[in-house]
Amino acid sequence: MSKPTVRAQDLLVGYGGAPVCAPVSFTLAPGRAVALVGANGSGKSTVLRAVIGLLEPTSGSLRVLGEPVDEREVAFRAQVASVLDDDAYFPALTVHEHLYLTARGHGVLGADALVRELLEEFGLAEHARSLPVALSSGQRRRLLLAAGFVRPRSLLVLDEPEQRLDRAMRDRLAARLVEEKKAGGAVLMATHDPDLVLAVADRAVHVADDVTRLLGPAEAATLISRENP
Amino acid sequence: MSDADAVDLADTPAVLPGELGEVPGARDIRRYTTQAANARGGASLGSLLASVYYAVITIAIASGMALGFAQALRVSLPPTPESDAAVDLSLPTLVLVVLLGLVGILVSLAGRLGPVGAGGAEAAWWLVLPVDRRGLLRPAARRLPLVAAFVAAILVGLLDAGLLADSGARVLHVAVTSALVAAGIVLLAALAQSRGLRRSTTALVGDLILAAAPVVAVALALTDWSVHEVPTLPWFGAVAAALLVAGAGVLVDRRLGRIPTASLRESGSVATQAVGAAVSLDSRELGRALTDGAAAPTRRRLSRLRTARGPATALVTADLAVLRRSARHLVQLAIAAIVPVLVTVVPELASQAGVLFAVLLAGYVAMSATGEGARRAQMAPILDRLLPLDAKTVRRLRMVVPGIAMLVWSVVAFGAVGRWTGDVAGWLVLGVASTPVWAAAAVRSSYRPAPDWGGALVSTPMGALPTGVAAVLARGPDVVVLGLLPVWIAVLLRHVSPTMILIQAGLSAIAVTVASSIATGSLMERMLASQEEMDKQRKANR
Repeated sequence: MSKPTVRAQDLLVGYGGAPVCAPVSFTLAPGRAVALVGANGSGKSTVLRAVIGLLEPTSGSLRVLGEPVDEREVAFRAQVASVLDDDAYFPALTVHEHLYLTARGHGVLGADALVRELLEEFGLAEHARSLPVALSSGQRRRLLLAAGFVRPRSLLVLDEPEQRLDRAMRDRLAARLVEEKKAGGAVLMATHDPDLVLAVADRAVHVADDVTRLLGPAEAATLISRENP
Repeated sequence: MSDADAVDLADTPAVLPGELGEVPGARDIRRYTTQAANARGGASLGSLLASVYYAVITIAIASGMALGFAQALRVSLPPTPESDAAVDLSLPTLVLVVLLGLVGILVSLAGRLGPVGAGGAEAAWWLVLPVDRRGLLRPAARRLPLVAAFVAAILVGLLDAGLLADSGARVLHVAVTSALVAAGIVLLAALAQSRGLRRSTTALVGDLILAAAPVVAVALALTDWSVHEVPTLPWFGAVAAALLVAGAGVLVDRRLGRIPTASLRESGSVATQAVGAAVSLDSRELGRALTDGAAAPTRRRLSRLRTARGPATALVTADLAVLRRSARHLVQLAIAAIVPVLVTVVPELASQAGVLFAVLLAGYVAMSATGEGARRAQMAPILDRLLPLDAKTVRRLRMVVPGIAMLVWSVVAFGAVGRWTGDVAGWLVLGVASTPVWAAAAVRSSYRPAPDWGGALVSTPMGALPTGVAAVLARGPDVVVLGLLPVWIAVLLRHVSPTMILIQAGLSAIAVTVASSIATGSLMERMLASQEEMDKQRKANR
């Protein structure tokens, strides 16, 4: 029997027993991408937090790589990469060292060359020796994104990856995510960017208070454009 | 999707950015981070030794001062009288009750701080790695039990030596027992955390123990049950306890990897915020860190706020709702009301100095509990800006809830003092007359600006004193000290006169006026600014 990377069935998430959105159901297969779309505060990020194990679901079923979510398992952390809006860095570690730590921490050999390659790709090569405090908000965002790609993964979870990125960088990110799918990785992202949905997502889930709906990428992009004119 | 596409946790990740080798150990990760930081921060063995030297000297000086204070207090205490009062409490029994309260504080703090946590960068960059987390969390897990043991040994040792005048050997015995108990409590809290118990639940248990302490004291006084010394474990018992604590330490170490990231992140975040607040001497921020960080994620029942019928009543109603919803502050208020009662029934403490100290200290603790609405408004003045009220009126209205709460406190505390002196009515009137001073102090301390570290430094035997910080921290306590002078005098004389009450009423009015002021500078700064303004005008007139 095949195992989807993520399978959520009537997944209800929230805080203190109070759900933040209607139950969510979707399946994400390897080599595919699902986008969570919806208004601000609709619960997209909360669903993502449940998928990566930072939040216990209120009810419903959630399995990642065939198992119930348990981020305490080393194997889970080895397979699931996430890029949230964690704006926290070691103050004395350079940009290069942050990425090197992540790559080596996952057992990647030749981490130095890989880090240099990613720094180039994410427009951070000039800042390789900079401390995070010297970076702009957008550069720090790119550092976080690069950290998601510098490590092995089967599932990549991204929370509004387009935030604080310019158009060119967004396009490059979209291309990167398409490559991710081709390599067999699964991508789950919450986004407000219709272009990113059209370029990357195979399906979308509209997260809302009353009812969640499965949408096609074009329908989701239209919905986003309507919600954010 | 075919079976061949399927992946599971045991598989090699689908996307490999490079060739995979062995995952390094947690210690290597920690060492890499530390070495990079040390290399950049210019850390050396010399700087480490200097830090240790300053830490040891600071602790020695602080302990010496605390011991001196405790011994001075002991000397000033009257000898144990042959009491025939219906209700009294022996000093060792009171110390025992204080220790129970300290246990409550420790449990509460352990819950609020984790006790195991990983904040900021460690949470974001370490906890996502597929390494055995125990190695990453071990230093953090050891830190709090060790600190708790050290502080408990010093604190309880000082209490025993200072108040009960025990011999050196016995003080050592008490200190060792306290250290073991404190370390054991923190380790138990860590075990509870690793078993998924909410941090807010642990904190609540601690708060309940703390709240029970004065109730226990009253019960002991009423039942005439007392101890003659602080109980300790016999030496063989202490060895057994040490083994148990070590065992708990090993158990915690084994379970470190089972603590969920969410719990580690929350704890780490609270600890980071609390340490930052403590280092910058920002007590308001410390309170926010310890209160908000351990709050259970529950939805509040919607309050109808029926008493809000206009801008002024809306503000007062909001303050009242904040106080009503903060169980910790209500408990703090209740405990602070019982402290003067207890001090007046302990023969050794029921001296003028002891009662004055108890009234001022307990009053300050109670007053701090009542200013939560103003403190939150100072941080985020959302309601203040929405309402059509000028800043001075807002401050006066913010004194209403602290005033009501402190009126209740005053009735209990001053009633006890009145019972101690034999003139309950007079003291109750004085207590009511002094209530506005407490309310004014609550608002003045809530609205004080952030500590000013850029002010002039004054050299003292204890090192440089940043006057800017001292001036800011004095806002609030200054009103208590000066505004309650008639209370000071009355307690020291054990007598209340109508003149004192009149003067107190006048001082209360002045305190309210001072706390209503929206000027942020110190009195001296305001006088200098006024002088400069007058000089400018004089020159312009010429």
